[in-house]
Amino acid sequence: MSLRTSKKDLIEYVVTRTIFYIATIFTSVTLIYVLFKFMPVDAVENIIFQLTSAVGGVYDPESVMELRRNLYEMFGLGGNPIESYILFLQRVFTFNFGPAFISFPTPAFQLVLSRLPWTIGLLLTSTIITWTLGNLLGLIAGYYQNRKFAKVLEAMAIIIYPIPYYVMALILILLFAFLIPIFPLGGGMSIIPEKITLDVILNIIWHSLLPALSLIIPGALGWSFISARTLAIETLSKDYTRYAWIRGLPSRHILRRYVLKNILVPQTTVLALSLGGVFSGAMLTEVIFAYPGVGMLAYRATFSGDLNTLMAVLILSIFAVATSVFLLDLLYPLIDPRIKHR
Amino acid sequence: MDVVLKADDLSGGYLLVRKGSSEKNEVYVDAVSDVSLQLERNEIFGIAGESGCGKSTLLKMIYGLLEPPLILRGGSVTFITVDGEIPITSLSENDLRRRVWWKKISYIPQSSMNVLNPTVRIRDHFIEMFTFHARMMKNEAYAEARKYIDQMGLPRDVLSAFPHQLSGGMRQRVVIALSLLLNPNIVLADEPTSALDVISQKVVLTMLEEAQKELKNTLVIVSHDLGIHGVMTHRMGIMYAGKIVEIGKTEEIFEDPLHPYSEALIRSLPKLGDKKQRTGLGGHPPDLKKPPSGCRFHPRCPYAMPICSRTPPKMKMIKPGRYVACWKNSMEE
Amino acid sequence: MSKLKYGRRIISNLIDIYKTSFKFRFGFTVIFLMCIMGFILPLFSPVNPRAWYSVPKEQPPSSRYLLGTTTMGRDVFWELCSSIGKSLTIAVITAMIASHVGLLVGLLAGIRGGLLDRFLMFLTDTFIIIPGFILLVVVVTVMKNFITIPLMGAIISIVSWPWPARQVRSMVLSLRERTFVYTARLSGMNTSKILIFELMPHLLGWHLVNFANTILFSIGTEGSLAIFGLSLLSDNTLGVMLYWAINYYALYRGLWWWISAPIATLVLIFISFYLVSIGLSEYLHRMVR
Repeated sequence: MSLRTSKKDLIEYVVTRTIFYIATIFTSVTLIYVLFKFMPVDAVENIIFQLTSAVGGVYDPESVMELRRNLYEMFGLGGNPIESYILFLQRVFTFNFGPAFISFPTPAFQLVLSRLPWTIGLLLTSTIITWTLGNLLGLIAGYYQNRKFAKVLEAMAIIIYPIPYYVMALILILLFAFLIPIFPLGGGMSIIPEKITLDVILNIIWHSLLPALSLIIPGALGWSFISARTLAIETLSKDYTRYAWIRGLPSRHILRRYVLKNILVPQTTVLALSLGGVFSGAMLTEVIFAYPGVGMLAYRATFSGDLNTLMAVLILSIFAVATSVFLLDLLYPLIDPRIKHR
Repeated sequence: MDVVLKADDLSGGYLLVRKGSSEKNEVYVDAVSDVSLQLERNEIFGIAGESGCGKSTLLKMIYGLLEPPLILRGGSVTFITVDGEIPITSLSENDLRRRVWWKKISYIPQSSMNVLNPTVRIRDHFIEMFTFHARMMKNEAYAEARKYIDQMGLPRDVLSAFPHQLSGGMRQRVVIALSLLLNPNIVLADEPTSALDVISQKVVLTMLEEAQKELKNTLVIVSHDLGIHGVMTHRMGIMYAGKIVEIGKTEEIFEDPLHPYSEALIRSLPKLGDKKQRTGLGGHPPDLKKPPSGCRFHPRCPYAMPICSRTPPKMKMIKPGRYVACWKNSMEE
Repeated sequence: MSKLKYGRRIISNLIDIYKTSFKFRFGFTVIFLMCIMGFILPLFSPVNPRAWYSVPKEQPPSSRYLLGTTTMGRDVFWELCSSIGKSLTIAVITAMIASHVGLLVGLLAGIRGGLLDRFLMFLTDTFIIIPGFILLVVVVTVMKNFITIPLMGAIISIVSWPWPARQVRSMVLSLRERTFVYTARLSGMNTSKILIFELMPHLLGWHLVNFANTILFSIGTEGSLAIFGLSLLSDNTLGVMLYWAINYYALYRGLWWWISAPIATLVLIFISFYLVSIGLSEYLHRMVR
């Protein structure tokens, strides 16, 4: 009998995942290019129209022509499709999105980058908490399926899950920032600090609590909970769980070692699949809570038709999500022994 | 006879509730019907019969494993120890888990291919048994596990493997080793060799046999394969459609089967030197939702008499240790 | 099986689900009422819901104006009805496109397998990774004044097709395991034909579930886009109602009826479609056993 704990398998896996990572980014960028190419509307003209007719916008004709040229180049809407595709790729991978209209002449890329830490900070913490909490709640609700509290949780989830995110966020604001003013109504922090002190950090965290809560509650009682519960119930009926029960092992141990451990892998997949949606959700959160992140930036950009910034946001968020999924993929060998040991 | 466990008029089955339409439909599958038998210490007892005859259900009921929709309809199972009797059928599941399961009686489920936790190494399967049942510390348990693996004749590197890295036969051997870990008085094995190739079957059976010889426990083997019974078991019981139809020493049953069903089973086995064509049994096993009246075998029995379709025969002792439930045999007196 | 018998069996199944599942019953009833509100009632509307200042503005709910009026002088009730219809239309268009594209992709990937499967799944996963809402924001911004109802439906379907595709594919894969036993026995018949005929009855149920889920997703997305001001602002949808209410600070000015009506309706629509969806999927799970 041979047991190969081959490092070779592990390396093979990492290489495969890296290739997928690069291929995914490449394909998404290409898809975006194709999408814009096939739009029934002349994107550039429409944008320029929006810009020049925006309230308070005054642009001299030369800048507009320059802008037109840049935009055409950006979207490959003129000339040879192959050439413009390559140009497009070039621009994307050098992160050259042109200047941001809303904050001329700061490069759009730089603008987005400066806001990125806010968004990622908020998202990272709230996603991790949501996933963990949802797993635990779902596990317990699945195990004690017939007890009252489990049924209450399930009913709550059924109501909360389909409710549109903005409704949940608005309700939270009403309750905890308006009626019972505990949390600040919005913003990232109270005053722009001179240097980073503990106070400043605490202040930032305080401001991010309500937005984070608005993401965590519908998540931990919504998608994360529901999928964890379904998986837990499925795992409970598996042969190995029943066998552990037959062997007289205590239920707490079974919950931890047999059920929880075995839902981690599919739940990680669920997490990876939902990251795109989580990032999207961030946009709404930031707008509703006036949180100074990437989403807020995009919001302002839509008003003035700032396509450069919007493209920067889009491309960078694709990069962000693809990278997070890639990092998650790298975690799999740690939780699924079938990958490391063939 | 040193009895270690007895079943008295044990009845149980599956209560199926259909919630499809507006009226709730309840259907009871009579899987185990008035079964009485006794297990002795230091023996290998076989339960034979076709698929669906209720032998697996019987085993579960002996263990006290009543997973819904399996219910106990009547009768009792009593486990006899030096300190007294333990009424398996009347104990709560919690009590069973704490006092009886694995320590006194262990159970090897059918298709043990997938009963090991895929995310946990083999050694942890053993360690957890020691930790929770024998209250050992982790490193102590690990040392015990290593010793035990050696004793069982399994290669050392099995311990650090994950279940998916082992072959089906090896996994089965691990499961057997687990079942003998706490040296229980009774080991219940449900089809321990199905889904295995012939070589693995032999290895598994040898392992069980040697362990029984050494530990002098009671091994119960449920199998539809009469060949296994012929090779391994000392005594056996033949089951048909939820009823035990014959009990006795394996040798004697093979030599001279009394019940018509046993007769058909034995006759269908190939015999060295006998070139006659094997004859099978016509018909098929009855639907246990609506079992036949009287003797459940009468529709297929070549010796059926009028009384057979009216009254179910009672288990009768032909001679000490030999029992049959058949009108033909009762009449011949 | 002949098409007539097929159709009748589906109808009897639907009636069965309706009878046995409270969730389905509730959801279906609410949806039915919503459809009446959205498509039939507007035909009887005494005012043109799109015309501004057709009724006195900012009136609280009364017997005259069932749900009050808005700052722009519109009757909230009739505006709500026509909005429901428009939102549902967009959602149905999205669901038609996305769930069928998803069905096709899922079928192809599941039945053919191999390289085609890998490629299609790669494509699907790539779409899942692209943050859909952000993509929509960019696309709609660029098309800002040219969006119509069908176009909106089509745009949203760009980001909604991957999920049905994944679902259908995993269904096909698990069903394939089972039907292979038949295929082995019925050798001689085209494998794909068998798979399609065997699979269709089961798939139809899940297709409906995906359809309902996509409708849910579409209405939610349209609402989110509207809050960003990225919708058909000249027309009425539930999202647009919300947009105007928020932009005119309805809540802060005490015009609670203006914002509560669309919110309550949205919540109801969501819950009922979701109930229908899980009622269906619970039924399908039970049928399999």
